[in-house]
Amino acid sequence: MFDYQFLLEVLIGGLLSGVMYSLVAIGFVLIYKTSGVLNFAQGAMLLFAALTFVSLVERGAPFLAALAATLVIMVVLGIATERLVLRPLVNQPPVTLFMATLGLSYVIEGAAQLLWGTQVHGLDIGISDAPFEVAGVLISRFDLFAAAVAGSLVALFALFFRYTRTGLSFRAVADDQFAALAVGLRLPRVWAAVWIVAGIVALVGGLLWGARLGVQFSLSLVVLKALPVLVLGGFDSITGAIVGGLLVGAIEKLAEVYVGPLFGGGIEAWAAYVAALALLLIRPSGLFGQKLVERV
Amino acid sequence: MTAIATGARVFRLEDSPPHRCADASGGQREEALEGRAEHAAKTPVRPALGLAHISLTFGGVAALREVDLDVAEGEIRAVIGPNGAGKSSLLNIVSGLYRPDRGEVWFGERSFREVPTSKLAGLGVARTFQNLALFKGLSVFDNVLMGLAHRVRAGFLQQIVGSPLARRIEAENRAAAEEVIGFLHLTEVRDRLAGTLPYGVQKGVELARALVTRPKLLLLDEPFAGVTLAEKRELSQHVRNARDSFGTTIVLIEHDIGVVMGLSDRVAVLDYGRKIADGTPAQVRTDPAVIDAYLGVAHETDTEFEI
Amino acid sequence: MPTLISAKSNWFSSEALWIGLVIVAAYGIIPLAGTDYLLDAVLTPFLALSLAAVGLNVLTGYAGQVSLGSAAFLAVGAYAAYNLHLRFPALPLLIDLVLAGGVAAAIGIVFGLPSLRLRGFYLAVSTLAAQFFVQWALTKFSWFSNDNPSGVIDAPTLSIGGVAFTSPAERYVFTLTVVIVLTLLTLRLLRSQSGRNFIAVRDHEIAARVIGVPLLRTKLLAFAASSFLIGVAGVLWAFAYLRTVEPAGFNLDRSFQILFIIIIGGLASLRGSFIGAAFIVVFPLLLSRIGAALLGSVFDSGVLEMSQRIVIGGLIIVFLSAEPRGLIALWDRAWAAIRPANRSLLPS
Repeated sequence: MFDYQFLLEVLIGGLLSGVMYSLVAIGFVLIYKTSGVLNFAQGAMLLFAALTFVSLVERGAPFLAALAATLVIMVVLGIATERLVLRPLVNQPPVTLFMATLGLSYVIEGAAQLLWGTQVHGLDIGISDAPFEVAGVLISRFDLFAAAVAGSLVALFALFFRYTRTGLSFRAVADDQFAALAVGLRLPRVWAAVWIVAGIVALVGGLLWGARLGVQFSLSLVVLKALPVLVLGGFDSITGAIVGGLLVGAIEKLAEVYVGPLFGGGIEAWAAYVAALALLLIRPSGLFGQKLVERV
Repeated sequence: MTAIATGARVFRLEDSPPHRCADASGGQREEALEGRAEHAAKTPVRPALGLAHISLTFGGVAALREVDLDVAEGEIRAVIGPNGAGKSSLLNIVSGLYRPDRGEVWFGERSFREVPTSKLAGLGVARTFQNLALFKGLSVFDNVLMGLAHRVRAGFLQQIVGSPLARRIEAENRAAAEEVIGFLHLTEVRDRLAGTLPYGVQKGVELARALVTRPKLLLLDEPFAGVTLAEKRELSQHVRNARDSFGTTIVLIEHDIGVVMGLSDRVAVLDYGRKIADGTPAQVRTDPAVIDAYLGVAHETDTEFEI
Repeated sequence: MPTLISAKSNWFSSEALWIGLVIVAAYGIIPLAGTDYLLDAVLTPFLALSLAAVGLNVLTGYAGQVSLGSAAFLAVGAYAAYNLHLRFPALPLLIDLVLAGGVAAAIGIVFGLPSLRLRGFYLAVSTLAAQFFVQWALTKFSWFSNDNPSGVIDAPTLSIGGVAFTSPAERYVFTLTVVIVLTLLTLRLLRSQSGRNFIAVRDHEIAARVIGVPLLRTKLLAFAASSFLIGVAGVLWAFAYLRTVEPAGFNLDRSFQILFIIIIGGLASLRGSFIGAAFIVVFPLLLSRIGAALLGSVFDSGVLEMSQRIVIGGLIIVFLSAEPRGLIALWDRAWAAIRPANRSLLPS
């Protein structure tokens, strides 16, 4: 007899862990939408933020002070990235920019660990991982908290894009770079701003992921979890990043539980990629991505 | 020289004589041309290229509506119209890059709902592009040689070891490419990388790449856009030579009315996706609908955003 | 015209001269003059990585298809050769080598199929699937490693027709020979119509399609040829260099390393593949010497690894923005400056 209760539990667990993926993917989407760059360094930024924060706390800084200091550092990192990476590569093909962010991820990872060391740090942000039960289904408190954070982050972005000048300029640049230039927006400034926002997203993601996995090098590998999310959702849609994250979370857990035993387990590493690939072959721009007409 | 000057730009309706047909001479030029067109219409032989009831929409916006066009064999046929009239869409349908919502494309006796792009070269159709489409990382010679890629039937292993078949095809293709390069006066830049050449020369290289196959039908998408007057003269001479020497049928897209007047046998005019006039240059030039269409867009700038 | 043709043939012969000189030096001088350390820890891995970079350059540099899964094909080559040797002992090693390349090519074609619909980094992301899938399969199914629980394999002795290549110098000569033969064949391929088709598809896919370049065949050939070369490089890596390998050695970092070799050395340049590989092999050695001399014991292996990451990552950014044609362009420029008269004789 098929255990539907168990299926539901796996599904909910998957969806909630998917929120964590969305949190990383949102950072990608922000940068991709405004500058057309698939930022492979998002994972490295996440590691850098988490490592900086936890190291400051361990050196005796109060929670809020450490948070503020990390924020400042992420802002500096965003500005430096725009100056040193994006600006010299302006007008290069997207793939070149992508490869440059590969290089950037090496630099940031190296710098983070050179500064703060390579040992694993525990990070406690005061949320217990103890599960509670709803209608016989076990739900992790931490996952729920992460989902709430992700939800409020998205809501915050929605407000930001609608009501602030910077947010509006992001949307203008995302819509049409030439028109944005024509009305006097300064692209470098917008890009720097968007990298700063992506840095803040990385900080939030880094704290949550760090609390879950411990702050260590492997944190930067969550980038690899976020890529199939982006492929599924489309690189330029925040909604897509959320839905894609949920999907990948659910697919991974369901595949691991129901398909994994057929292969002896461990398929989590590639199940999401195979699903993303299958979708790509049907819909090359993802579920929510914009379809582009090729002009010649 | 007649010139209609309108706010933003000047259209020259050149008085230079239209192309001198092999069967026409002196004062009977115009009549001969018309007779030729009529002749083409009467004979049961299908035109070299025919478009029937072509309609195309992009996300609800109609780019082309019920366009018919026939191109007789050996003819130089211009399709003109203001920016956004649907000219490039028309060529993209003929080369299979767009699929029309309605209508058919005829190459001689064969009709297609959607033209198979990969078989285009095999059907004897070649084209150039509005925004240069050269292979920047290849030399001029190799770019021209690429025009014959579809003739290479030898597999890659044969190419590596240099089998007799592979060597023979390579030698034939190289000879053909050398010939076209000489024909279009590109010998001096033969070994330069295509991406490093001035714009006008690149246009010439693209024409060479299309001509190297000796196509039955040649589609030119704004071949004179953005080139100097001298280059314009030279390029149009090459186009004419291609028809005279190889008997190539030519479809030419231009947004500037003046350029094509001296070159084309017949001109079709598109505006907002509809064909509003079709006939000899003389007929089109005096057509009130055409004059209206051009005056109507005269306020727009001449710049085209390239993507 | 005649002058152009004769200039061209001059150019060819000067190129042949250069290749000849390098080969003579590589066979005649280095095996005799080099220490075991140099041969074993520097030159053999340099050659194997060069071949892998040549392979990736065919796909990424020439055909314009970015791949992040090169290490998977190294692994496929290594494990295929191991299994061929284990399960068909009668087959000569050279046949194993070619068949292993063939297995890698076949898998390359499978993972290359998405390239028909996917471009740019969509394709790059999908090649990650190859990376993770292959590594997982080799770890998961111990059949591939003759039931070793952690997937470790010990390479057999290299021997051809009863001649064994066991000393560092002998293994170097074996590697060198394979790399030279395959590089020359690759050069032939790139100069043929197929090679021009690669560049055409990279530079303007739509124009290539209209001209009648068979896109499917061209892209799959690029994937197959690239995977073949990388697969054979994997055999060399496992059999001639490390001699004991595990799936974890073919991780994503290795894939990035090969990509970085061609970015730093020079995209779409075979010579660039070699220069880049030389740089990637020699650079950490230099850095550790310099670091140790300057900082003493503070410069431990951890610091070395991190500073190496920073410098390599920084170089990627610098090269992509300042000199996309890589070290080889710098080399050519330096050479032209030293000997202006020889400018026209430079091989490309």
